[in-house]
Amino acid sequence: MRNQTIVVRIEISTLLDRDGKINHRKMDRLAMVLTNLHNSGMHVLVVTSGAIALGTEKLKLRCTPDSLVEMQAAASVGQAELIRWYQHFFDGYNQIVAQVLLTSDIIGYPQRVENTRNTFNTLLDMSIIPIINENDPVSTADIEFDDNYPLALIVAEIAQADFIVIKMEMNGKYMIVPGGNSLAVVVDGETELQEKLESFSRVKIPGERNGVVSFPASIGEIVF
Amino acid sequence: MYRRKVLKDKHRIVVKIGTSSLSYPNGRMNFHSIEKLSYVLSALRRRGIQVVLVTSGAIGVGAGRLGLTEKPKELAKKQALAAVGQAELMKIYQKFFGEFNQTVSQVLLTKDVVTIPSRNLNAKRTIMKLLEMDIIPIINENDTIATNEIEFGDNDTLSAIVASLVEADLLVILSDIDGLYSADPRTEMSAEIIHTVPEITPELEKLASGTGSSFSTGGMVTKISAAKICTNDGIDCIITSGSDPSIVFDILEGREVGTHFIARNEKLLNHV
Repeated sequence: MRNQTIVVRIEISTLLDRDGKINHRKMDRLAMVLTNLHNSGMHVLVVTSGAIALGTEKLKLRCTPDSLVEMQAAASVGQAELIRWYQHFFDGYNQIVAQVLLTSDIIGYPQRVENTRNTFNTLLDMSIIPIINENDPVSTADIEFDDNYPLALIVAEIAQADFIVIKMEMNGKYMIVPGGNSLAVVVDGETELQEKLESFSRVKIPGERNGVVSFPASIGEIVF
Repeated sequence: MYRRKVLKDKHRIVVKIGTSSLSYPNGRMNFHSIEKLSYVLSALRRRGIQVVLVTSGAIGVGAGRLGLTEKPKELAKKQALAAVGQAELMKIYQKFFGEFNQTVSQVLLTKDVVTIPSRNLNAKRTIMKLLEMDIIPIINENDTIATNEIEFGDNDTLSAIVASLVEADLLVILSDIDGLYSADPRTEMSAEIIHTVPEITPELEKLASGTGSSFSTGGMVTKISAAKICTNDGIDCIITSGSDPSIVFDILEGREVGTHFIARNEKLLNHV
């Protein structure tokens, strides 16, 4: 049976302190939880936002820059910071990560999708966790959606994922959306997350992929 | 020799560094070289010169991180190593440039930057903005999603495209050879370095491709084609050895190092 593949979407706001700096404790926890998920035998891909936020902080810009080009410049600085933090905290659990920057128009280029899928598979087979973000410095298409919700869906599609964690809150609540299922589930704590994922995988036909594209339309309305 | 004077007055330069200048022959990182590069470029930035760095090395660094002793040949594996290595590479650059209090940023480009006008404009505006903010953008090919391994051919071509994109006035290619030679310096005793190339002629291109295969695998062909892109666009280009990155200081002092490919419009101006 092939490994279950899960895409975890991280909103940077859940990892920042009020002053805009990375909260080390939360970031460390995240690295632990995800490495553990990986260690349990799942293929984990992370879709993260945060390049603009960290760039803004690094450059000491007063607030999030409002001109598009300044946001892109901040993203260029901040992406380097962001991936460095991920490396740093995953290193603590001896987990290697990789950086993949995509533009969401990728879906219109089948060969690029194919290549990216191959890269994902190769990384996952090598026990590496890909950390994926929008390539903001070269694209404005999705820069407004810094929360990367559309990107997470695209990544799930490319990676042929079985699950997406749409929202992960560092207070121990997770919401998971099983692919092709219209039920979103909020679970409490990591043990329950693990159990829930296992129960999903139990009802699945081994080796068969869930239809990750058919997400419930109401997903944005789910309140936590 | 007088032509080199024009190099004393450059305001926006693109420096391309190859894997051979960033690592030892055994594939491990040469931190001394990277530190020196960071120092040189930070010093230039401080002088008011805008600097863009085009770097190679992601795959090699990725291989090192994963403890692989040789680089894989398979495309997907190379791309995977690039994804690991690019993150590592940026971490190293951030560390060394940080020592000189210089902020850097990462820009990963694909061939789209040439073929899709909106992407071209986006990349250009972002890089220009970064330069305006005193940041040194560090550019590499976005290997992970490239549709084949030779989208740009190599980073020589990428560096020329970047120089043209940001309207630089100089491209410096730091490589493992100290310039263009009249013959293969490894086999011909009489081989001499050509310090000035006023025009890239078909004969010169033929010389670079060489009849001996070893000479051409040094990558002189892609460097000449990069120089051609630049000079046609009015940008001076220097190809020289990257074994000591402080050679960039010498170049900007007008000293006769490496091979200088003279920008075309400048040549035309000289004739007027």
